[in-house]
Amino acid sequence: MESRQVRRAVDRPLVSVVDDDESVRESLPDLLGEFGFAARAFSSAEEFLASDCVDQTRCLILDVAMPGISGPELQRELKLRRREIPIVFITAQREETVRRQVIERGAIECLFKPFSDTALLEAINLALRPK
Amino acid sequence: MSGYGKSANDVPLEGSIPTGTAPLESILRTEELQRRPSRPPDYEKENRALVKLVSALADSPGTIFQTLAETIQDITQCDSAGLSLLTKDGKKPHVEGQRFYWPAICGMWNPHVGGGTPRNFGPCGDVLDQNRTLLFTHFERRYPYLMPVSPTAEECLLVPFYVDGKAVGTIWGIMHSERRKFDAEDNRVMASLGKFASSAYQSWMHIEDLKIQVAQREKAEAEVRELASGLEAKIRRLVEANVVGIVMWNLEGTITGGNEAFLHTVQYDREDLAAGRVRWKDLTPLEWSDRDERAIDQLKATGIFQPYEKEFFRKDGGRVPILLGGALFEGSGNEGVAFVLDLTEQKRQESARLYSEERYRVVVETASDVVVNVDDKGSIVFANPATATIFGYDPAELAGKPLTLLMPAYMRELHQTGFSRYLATGQRHMNWQGTELTALRKNGEEFPVEVSFGEITRDGHKTFTGFLRDISKRKQAEQALRRSEAFLAEAQHLSHTGSFSWRVATGEITWSEQLYRIYELENSVPVTLELIRTRVHPEDLTLYERMVEEARIGASDFEWQYRLLMPDHSIKYMHALARPTRDQDGQLEYIAAVQDVTARRLAEEARDKARSELTHVARVTSLGTLTASIAHELNQPLSGIVTNASTCLRMLAADPPNVDGARETARRTIRDGNRASEMITRLRALFSKKSTTIQALDLNEAIREVIALSMSELQKNRVILRPELAQDLPLVTGDRVQLQQVILNLLRNASDAMSTVDDRPRDLLIRTEPDDNDRVRLSVSDVGMGFEPQAADKLFEAFYSTKNEGMGIGLSVSRSIIEHHHGRLWATPNNGPGVTFSFSIPCRPEGLTSDGARAGRIPSVSDAA
Repeated sequence: MESRQVRRAVDRPLVSVVDDDESVRESLPDLLGEFGFAARAFSSAEEFLASDCVDQTRCLILDVAMPGISGPELQRELKLRRREIPIVFITAQREETVRRQVIERGAIECLFKPFSDTALLEAINLALRPK
Repeated sequence: MSGYGKSANDVPLEGSIPTGTAPLESILRTEELQRRPSRPPDYEKENRALVKLVSALADSPGTIFQTLAETIQDITQCDSAGLSLLTKDGKKPHVEGQRFYWPAICGMWNPHVGGGTPRNFGPCGDVLDQNRTLLFTHFERRYPYLMPVSPTAEECLLVPFYVDGKAVGTIWGIMHSERRKFDAEDNRVMASLGKFASSAYQSWMHIEDLKIQVAQREKAEAEVRELASGLEAKIRRLVEANVVGIVMWNLEGTITGGNEAFLHTVQYDREDLAAGRVRWKDLTPLEWSDRDERAIDQLKATGIFQPYEKEFFRKDGGRVPILLGGALFEGSGNEGVAFVLDLTEQKRQESARLYSEERYRVVVETASDVVVNVDDKGSIVFANPATATIFGYDPAELAGKPLTLLMPAYMRELHQTGFSRYLATGQRHMNWQGTELTALRKNGEEFPVEVSFGEITRDGHKTFTGFLRDISKRKQAEQALRRSEAFLAEAQHLSHTGSFSWRVATGEITWSEQLYRIYELENSVPVTLELIRTRVHPEDLTLYERMVEEARIGASDFEWQYRLLMPDHSIKYMHALARPTRDQDGQLEYIAAVQDVTARRLAEEARDKARSELTHVARVTSLGTLTASIAHELNQPLSGIVTNASTCLRMLAADPPNVDGARETARRTIRDGNRASEMITRLRALFSKKSTTIQALDLNEAIREVIALSMSELQKNRVILRPELAQDLPLVTGDRVQLQQVILNLLRNASDAMSTVDDRPRDLLIRTEPDDNDRVRLSVSDVGMGFEPQAADKLFEAFYSTKNEGMGIGLSVSRSIIEHHHGRLWATPNNGPGVTFSFSIPCRPEGLTSDGARAGRIPSVSDAA
């Protein structure tokens, strides 16, 4: 198990998760691993920006509402830093306006919690498809 | 008296008086006297002359006039001097004479003794008219009949003299050349001699009297002789003429004969007379007996009795006033004749005159207005007591003072000019009736008066009666009225308030200026209900007509708000208040104030709109926040559950299955499920902080409180609320505040549902009634737009609303509240327009609980909002 993980980590695309909710940080990397991706979880946008994963992350799964820098603010920040990482937003607030807003700004998808595993996979695949 | 009676020479007397002669002023030089150099008085000479005159008065009264003339000539050194005396016959002096004659002249005019001049057209007449000394020059220029009297008079100084206060003649001196002119000293001496003239006159008259008495006695004797022969014939003629009553009588008291005039006076007939039934003693009332006795005494002494007034009884017992005079027949000693003059008519006239004079006197004495009497010199003759009150003058002190005293200085000259012109030409310089002028009080204060004048001409003299009314109070009142009218107009203008009166019976409507301005109509347009109607907003016409109808029959205060639609399609909001009164004929009349409240109303609407938007925003925001927070709190663990379960399934489906991973994710799923459950428990606890207060309450009373709270809003929305609350409604058990929130919610919904209704009155009916099974039912009916039948079930769902500013949450909460009260809330479409919302709740408290944990908290309207 350990060896498989290490081996896969080298060639599997990295999907990072930023969410202040612990249960998400706990559950989502396991699901992403099942999908075949490398996964890292961060509890805030600040933590993510401070890590060495920014450049390697191929897809960012981002919570909308967080203490400190919010999801849409991180989206803007990354654009300013010209780190155009494809983003899939996840949110517990069923607000179409927020969804429309972030998609207009370039997000791949915005999923309302709780979302199905297939919906998530579809969004990630869309994010990772070659341009 | 030398020369008296011998004259009658060549002087043509009044004869014919040519017209176009010189005016009086042109032949008068009186004023010059004072200006001429005066010679010093020669008192010694004067005294000598006066002593001579006095001795002449005593010693030779017969020549007294001649002596007086000589004295005048001697002292004044004039060319001719003489006297003029009033006379009736040109010979004997008489105070009421119509001519002057010249009894004595010395000097150059001596030959003209016995001549004279007319009373009303000559120098002497002028002197008496003006009642003062006059100096004439060439008076023949005005009085041509004096031309032949030579030599002509260069100057003539004339002085009036009096006896017993009555002017009886003049003394005069004449200069026939310019040798010397009369001066002030002559004037003084002449005035002094005038006094002697009156003594001279009286002495002379005394002599004349003696002559007359002698002559009279001779005449009387002659008459008696004539009487004896012709008396009976004369009496007979008198008797038959019946001009006056004539009776024959004897001292015994019998009337032996009488003419028709007498019989008519006492209303007896000839038979009575013939039968001796007419006795003067019987005709005489008792109180006149003494007077009769005196007449009889006189009769016995002198043969006649002076006429006196008394009364006779008529045959019918009434009294008749008479004048009785008579005489004894010569030589009879017992019988006589008398005349009886019926004074009835005279007495009546006299009494009427006395009454009228008395009435006039009382009016004048008690009048509150000033009454003044002014002669043709402009002097005050009489002033009534009101003069003291109004002008501050004692009426007595005003007598003889000029009328101009009562005027301010600047008006006096104007008055004099006008007054003189009127006397000369009859032309009035002002309106004599009710002219407003300024008067002057004794204390110098000026004040407005209303003046009317009347005139009477008597004995050739005009007198004027003026009525002066102090109108200062009226003026002040007029000014105050004008000022307050101006204030009112300004206030109406500033407050955008007009006023009107409406006489219901005649339809006569009077508008204030401001009301015309508000309605944007010309001031000249006559106002009618129909005209007003053309301005009333079409949607308010029903209201307007209902108001007019109620006002017609109601006669009570009323107040209403309506809108005007102006020709430019702008809308004005009006607030009218009217109060009924009765006019002088007892007819119903409304007095009303109408305020243009457009500006206020627009501000209120803007404020209300802002407030309602704010309320809505707050409601949506708080609701959104609530639901969002609930969703967020629940979605987090749910999301974990779903993700873990998905992972778990995938791990189990792997080859080989990752059982350890699956176990771990399943364990997390359970954990997150428990977390969600805890969350719901926390939320419930949050909502259950308050508990309900259950009590027995009167639903009608609760409704009245709600109505009181929402009345202004309902009125603003032009909703007409009709409560039909059942009497003796049983009490219900429940939470008063919550039930009131439901009622408020239903009323607001109904009001909102009618906000677009303009073609019918916005009637809102709220009704309570006992319902089956010991319940009470409340229903609220509107006439609004209603709803589709299929929407009936959805009405009570949360978030469902047929309106923009939806109260949907309110209906859903209302239903929760009612259901918590073990009641039912439902809606049914009306037969006509609109909907009826009803709820029915039980009266008894069974099953109701205040335990929030078990029954769940009853959410309230305010929470939802």
